[in-house]
Amino acid sequence: MLNPSRSARLPAAAALTILALTFATAPVVDAAAPASPAAHAMTGTWNRYPQIDEKPNPKFPPPPPPVGPPPLKPQYLAEWEAQQKAAKDADARGQPLFTDYVKCLPDGMPAMMLGMFPMEVLQTPGQVTIIQEAYNQVRRIYLNEKQIPLDEAEPGYWGHSVGHWEGNTLIVDTVGIKESVKFRNVPHGDKMRIRERIVLVSPDFLEDHVTVEDPDYLTGPWTFTWAYTRLPKYKMNEYVCDSNREYKDPETGGTRLRIGH
Amino acid sequence: MRIAGFICAALGLGAAAVTLAHHSFAMYDSDHQIKLAGKVKSFEWSNPHVYIELDANDNQGVPKDYTIECASPGILNRVGWKFNMIKAGDSITVIIAPLKTGEPGGLLKQITLADGRQFSNGGPAGKPNIK
Repeated sequence: MLNPSRSARLPAAAALTILALTFATAPVVDAAAPASPAAHAMTGTWNRYPQIDEKPNPKFPPPPPPVGPPPLKPQYLAEWEAQQKAAKDADARGQPLFTDYVKCLPDGMPAMMLGMFPMEVLQTPGQVTIIQEAYNQVRRIYLNEKQIPLDEAEPGYWGHSVGHWEGNTLIVDTVGIKESVKFRNVPHGDKMRIRERIVLVSPDFLEDHVTVEDPDYLTGPWTFTWAYTRLPKYKMNEYVCDSNREYKDPETGGTRLRIGH
Repeated sequence: MRIAGFICAALGLGAAAVTLAHHSFAMYDSDHQIKLAGKVKSFEWSNPHVYIELDANDNQGVPKDYTIECASPGILNRVGWKFNMIKAGDSITVIIAPLKTGEPGGLLKQITLADGRQFSNGGPAGKPNIK
C-alpha cells in the first residue's frame, strides 16, 4: 500500500535531498520568476492531510473543521439549509441526491483544493499549475499579473487566477467561477472572489487558507483551511469518467446503480 | 449513513460527503454486510469506479449475477491493486455492503483473490464488519 502518511515519516535525509534538488534547479528553470524562498519548493505531489485513519503529526495539527453553516444572507441560508436537509433525507432513504458530481462533472473551485485525490503542483516561469487527480482538473495561477475585471472573467470551473509570492506563501486571487459550480452546495454570483494563501509550512507540509467573498450572497468572508503532505515519488493517475453506472431514478430523482452489464 | 458521517467528520466537512467520493454511499447497507464467493464474469478497470460482475449464490443458494462497485483506479492503485490482477473466470471471495434496494449488487469492503491475497477498497469505502 502506498501509505498516505508516509510523507510524515519521510526520513529527514530524503526530505533534504528533495529540497536540495529542487533548489539546485531553481536558478536555471525559473530565471524569470521573482526571487523567493519558495522558488520551486512547492513543486511535487501532495496528499490531503490527514487521510482517513491517519494519525496526525503532533507538530502539524490539522486545520480545525469549519463550524456552523456558511455565512449566507438569510434569504439564501434558508434555502441552503432546506437543501442540506433534503440531502440528508435522501441518504436516509438510501437514494442519495443525483448531483453534478455523480454526473461526473469536475468539482471546480474552490472544492478542487479539497484534495479528494492527490494533487500535483508545478512551478514554472510566471505560472504555478495545480493538477487534481480526480477528474484531471487543472488550474493555472498566473504570477505577478493584475487580476482581470469581473466583466472580462468568463465563467468556468476553475476561473481566472493570479498570484504572487510573499516569502513561502503564494497569494492567489480567483474570479470567474460559473454559478453552477458550488462548494458545499453554497450558491454564489458573478462577484464571488476566492482569495487563497497557499503556505509552505515546512518542506513537506502545505496549507491552503481560503477566503470566499461574495457581496451578493454572503454576509461576510467565508474562511476555511485545507492541509496537505508531500507524496514523494508519487506519479499521478489519469482520470476520465468513461464508465459511470450511476443514474438518476426517473421516479424518485435519487441515485441508483445500474445492475448487470 | 454511518460511513458517510464518519468521512465527513474525519475531514471536517459537514455535509460535503459528495466531494469526497464520486457519490454518497447511502445506497449501500454497511450495517448488514454479506460475504459472497463466486466466479468473476467481468472486471472493468474504469472511472469513476471499478466494477466486478460476479456469479455467486445468494444466501438462499440461488445463483445471481452481482454487480460490485469498487473505488476508482487511483484509490485502488494506492492500496496495492493492479489493473490486471483480476480476470474473468477467477474465483474470488468478497465482503460487500449490499444495495438497500435488494438488487444483486453492493459496495466492496474487502476482496480475497484465488491466491489468498486480500485487498481493501480504500479508505472512503470503509472497512468490513464481518469476517
